[in-house]
Parts: sequence; structure tokens; C-alpha cells
Amino acid sequence: MITLAIDTSTSRTSVALTDNGVVLFSAHHNDALAHGEVLPGLVRDALKAAERIDQVVVGMGPGPFTGLRVGITFAQSFALARQIPWQGVCSLDAIAVGVSEQEFMVTTDARRKEVFAAHYVDGKRLSSPIVCAPSQIENMEVPIHGEFSQEFPDATKLAALAQGETFTEPIYVRRPDAYPAPVGVKFRPMNAMDLVSVYAIEKVAYREDPWSMAQFKEELAGKNRWYLVAEFKGQVIGYVGALTNGDAVDVLTLTVSPDHRRKGIGREMLRRLIDWSRNKKVSGIMLEMRVGNAEAYPLYLANGFVPLQERKNYYAPGVHATVMRKELT
Amino acid sequence: MTEPLILGIETSCDETAVGIVRGRTLLANVISSSVAEHARFGGVVPEIASRAHLEAMPNVLEQALNDAKVSLKDIDAFAVTAGPGLIGALLVGVSSASALSVALDKPIYGVNHLSAHIAVDALNSDHPLKPTIALLVSGGHSSILQVNDISSDVKVMGSTMDDAAGEAFDKIARLLELGFPGGPAIDKEAKAGNKSAIDFPRGLTHSNDQEAHAYDFSFSGLKTAVSRYLQQAPNAVRADVAASFQESVVDVLVTKAIAACKASGIDSLVIAGGVAANSRLREMAQERTAKAGIELRIPAMGLCTDNGAMVAALGSIAVSSGKQASQIGFAANSAAGLDQVIW
Ligand SMILES: [Zn+2]
Repeated sequence: MITLAIDTSTSRTSVALTDNGVVLFSAHHNDALAHGEVLPGLVRDALKAAERIDQVVVGMGPGPFTGLRVGITFAQSFALARQIPWQGVCSLDAIAVGVSEQEFMVTTDARRKEVFAAHYVDGKRLSSPIVCAPSQIENMEVPIHGEFSQEFPDATKLAALAQGETFTEPIYVRRPDAYPAPVGVKFRPMNAMDLVSVYAIEKVAYREDPWSMAQFKEELAGKNRWYLVAEFKGQVIGYVGALTNGDAVDVLTLTVSPDHRRKGIGREMLRRLIDWSRNKKVSGIMLEMRVGNAEAYPLYLANGFVPLQERKNYYAPGVHATVMRKELT
Repeated sequence: MTEPLILGIETSCDETAVGIVRGRTLLANVISSSVAEHARFGGVVPEIASRAHLEAMPNVLEQALNDAKVSLKDIDAFAVTAGPGLIGALLVGVSSASALSVALDKPIYGVNHLSAHIAVDALNSDHPLKPTIALLVSGGHSSILQVNDISSDVKVMGSTMDDAAGEAFDKIARLLELGFPGGPAIDKEAKAGNKSAIDFPRGLTHSNDQEAHAYDFSFSGLKTAVSRYLQQAPNAVRADVAASFQESVVDVLVTKAIAACKASGIDSLVIAGGVAANSRLREMAQERTAKAGIELRIPAMGLCTDNGAMVAALGSIAVSSGKQASQIGFAANSAAGLDQVIW
């Protein structure tokens, strides 16, 4: 079984050809901006070692989008041309296979002063890859392996990894913050005039335990608070509130009217909240999120929030909270 | 010798498209558009487009092969848009085409997107390819070209100084709250309006523009005029505004294209690009070229907007005129000009 293996998730483009674990060809090129130019040539060289290929295995990231997609689309099209199967694996796993320690982190360069990271114990990845500040990984005080210590995904090991967890889509842990704000939606500070509409959304969004009108009034008058509303055609459709609490910002609420979800409004409010927090020069942002909030969780993960602990029965009996934190360094 | 079988891939903007031609005969033209995903942002978002290309590519390829009733191993050469366009989007197409080329050991031609828009005319007609004037109008480009030989000799006679024609349609559609993309929306709205209701300005048509900008366009003044008009007359009939705006754009496009034909002594005009789908542009061009004794050719609707058939058509012309194939690993160029036809 001859495997063509490709990884373009880091600044390195790697290509290998293996036959049941025996390496027939292995080559790489280091240039974060040249995956597209380098990959076809490397694969053509690989084909000189063996013309017949039985399967393609490709690193699905996480990684900077543009380079990552070069490798994946190449692998898919190559497999289509040869009428052979292709499989995707986690690129961080392909770094972890070279590490012998019992517990460690693997990180790669996510650009913009962030890293893609995953936590490994006894050779197993503990969770889905995340994107976060490097300091967050350093705080864990376990050995760190990866791109910053010149350890890259090992293409010669991809075929073996394809026996384990595989991926059919790129591992996009960072939601594209390249997305612009939704058209026609205005963001402005909340004022007392908004309270009626805000409360109306609150009641629909949190049926069991909404804040009361009095709570909102109190919040709006409170110190060190920051409240913003999203407005569409003159109507309030979402709001976000936060509090500076010593060296951190606490997120008090982030709510979008159910009729206006999945339009990037929550993402834009969170982006503005993060900008505001950076200006406050605090060290991080904390929030509590209902366990099982499937819409918000990926948004927070993608913006660098990391789950710290669970608080049992935080919202109501049986309704637990996950505490998340984003480092601002 | 049978004519070459060429597969073309186009991913420069928001359409993932694959076309297959044999010589100058169209066999397949499959387009998957992510335009609906961009609508809520009021314009094409590069990251969304790139994601959609990656997702759509395998299906679009297979569909095109099915439609053409050929298999990948029968393809003689691959062609792919290498620029201009969004770099992340271009790379998906170039990478996919490179993989096909390497896997099957067949030549690959990186081609210019703008040239391909015009080359698609080769599929539109049986007569021999000959020199023509081309009016290329879309969301990304607006120019008048003198095409002596599409694969090697294209001269830019004029182009837009600010917005592309399609962009102007998008912006006015937004002002009129007609949605995105603006071209089809305005075309539709204008049908119910009076095109002479408002006399909007025609950019760069004054006599003192004749010397330096005879074949150039400018649509920013028009945009300002429409916006000011709407402020002063908030209750204006939208259909009248749409029709009058469209009339102004189309009038300038057609007038300048015909002037270019006359000045160069070329009695043939090709109108290509997404805006060529505009019904008023087609109508006016038909009338005025007939009067001027100019032969007019406009590609079929599905071949005007970005598509793979146009890329395959240019690839086919490159093959049959003996052009050298591109080096594997060529770099996509997001800002490529018309001097770079084949990579
Ligand atoms: Zn185009």
C-alpha cells in the first residue's frame, strides 16, 4: 500500500511517499508563502520513486488558511485524478508522533501573535485543537513542541495516523475574523431608551432565568460597565455587556435576538468587546457560558477563549456553567 | 488529428467553475457560486469565497466530466485562471489543476482571467478568429481592448479610472436597497421604470475628455449624483432611478466601444464579462452596432459571468496555436495585467 502524504499546515511544505511504513521518498521546503509553488514539484519528484499510488493522506490543519487549502485541494484533486481514496488527519498529531514525553503541548504558528495548540497525554490528544495566546500555553508548565522549536508535521508518519481519527474538512479553529460586519447593522452604546427592547429579547432568549428590568437598569447605571447594542433598521437585535474587574474584564451578557442569529452579529459584538478590553489594558477576559450552548462555544473558542473549569448548577439546578478565559498579551 | 480536449478551472472570485471544450466546441460548463453567502455582507468576502472553492471543487469537477461524458485521463491539457483575482481563491484552482496535471502527467496552462472572458467568444461562433474590439465589463473590470490575437496581442485602449461597471451597479443597488449582487437587481427594477426620467451624468464624455480619456470610464461621479438625488427626492420612484442610472452607464459603455471600433478600423465588437448579461446593454449595443455596420457578438448568458468554459477556451487556443505549457509550480498573480496571457 503506497501512500502519498502531504502537509501544508505550517510554514513548511512536506511531501512523503511510504509503503507500509517504509519511507520511499521524503522532502520538504520551508517558506510560509510558497506552498502553492513548491508542492506540485515535490509531488512530481515523489512520483519518480513510485509511479503507482494507492492512497493520499493530507494534514487538515489547523493552520493558516491559504497554505492549508493548497495542500488539501491538491490532495483531493490528485486522488480524483488517480481514482484512489484520500484521508485527512490532524496536522498537530503529525508533530506529536515524534515526541516521547508523557505529557506535552504541540503548538504551531497561527500568526497575529497567536498559536494553534493541542494537549497530549500518553500519546493521545486530549481535546480539539484551539487557537490562543502563546502565554496561555506557557502557563500550563508542560513541555511545548512544534513549529517554534523547529518541529514540523512529519509527512512520513501521516499514513499511520490515517488509521486513527480522520477529518473530511479542514480543521478551522479560528473563525475567519476577516469577515466584515454585517451590512446595515449599527453598533452603539446602550442607553435607557433601549431597555424595553433589550428586556424583550432577554425574555425570549433566556426563558428560565432572564435578568429583570430592574437588573438591567442597575447594570446600566453601574460603575466600570460597558454596554453596547446592535441595531438593524432602527430595532435593537442584540446586546453585549462587560465589567472591568481589577485586572480582568468579565463578560456579563452577550445576546442576539433569536431571529437574527447566524448573521455574524454575536461575532462582531465579541470583536468589539475584545477591542474595548485591550484598551483597558487588562490581562484577560473571563466569561461564563451555559454548558451545552452549541452556538456560543465555537465562537468563544475561535476567539481565543479557553475553558478553565465547570461551575455546577451555576444558572439553575442542573444548568452548569463553563468558565472561559482569553489572555490578552 | 482530433481537436484537443481541454479542461478549464476558474476560481478567481466567488464562482467555482469547471468547463470542458474540444477545440472550439463546448462540452460542459459547471458553475457553483457562493454569491448567496456573500449577500449579507454586501460584497464578496475573500475568506468565504476561498472556503467555498475548496468545498465545491471535487463536485464541480465530477459534474463537468459527467456532463461532457469524458474521463479525466482523456483530457489533453488543463487550463486554470492564474490571475488576476483574489489570491486565496486563485490558489485553490491553481493547486487543483496542478494536482490533475501532475497526477496524469499532462500539460497545464495558467491563463489570464480577463483574456479568458474574451476568448470564450471562440465558442460562440464558427467563423475564424480575427481582430476585434472587446468591451470587458464586470464587477472587477471595465475596459476596452483591441484584440489582435487573444493569445499574444491584446492592447488596452481604455479602462475605468475608479469603479468597475459591475461595482457601480452594486453600489447603486445598495442605495436603492435592492440587494446584492446589484446587476441583475437593477436590470429587473429598471424594466418597470422610465429610463429618461432623470438625466444622470455620463462620465468622461465631455469634449475635453476626448484627448486623454476617449476610451476610459469613470462611474464615481454618477454614484455621487444618484446618492445626492435620493437625498433630495427621498420619495423618488425607485424604478425610475434604477432605469435612469442604468441608461447612463450603458450609454457610456456602448458609445465608447463603438468609437473604439471606428478609431481602430475594426468592424467587430465582443462584449464580455458579467455586465454583458444586462438586458439594456444587449439591446442598445444591438441597435447601435447595426446602425454603425459593426458585427456584434455577446457570449451566451452562462458564458458572460465567470465560468470554466472561458478558461478552457483560452487553453484550447493556446494549445492549437502552439503556445508552450506553463512550468509546474507557477505562481498565481492576483494583480496580473493583460500582458501576461499564458503563464
Ligand atoms: Zn471576471
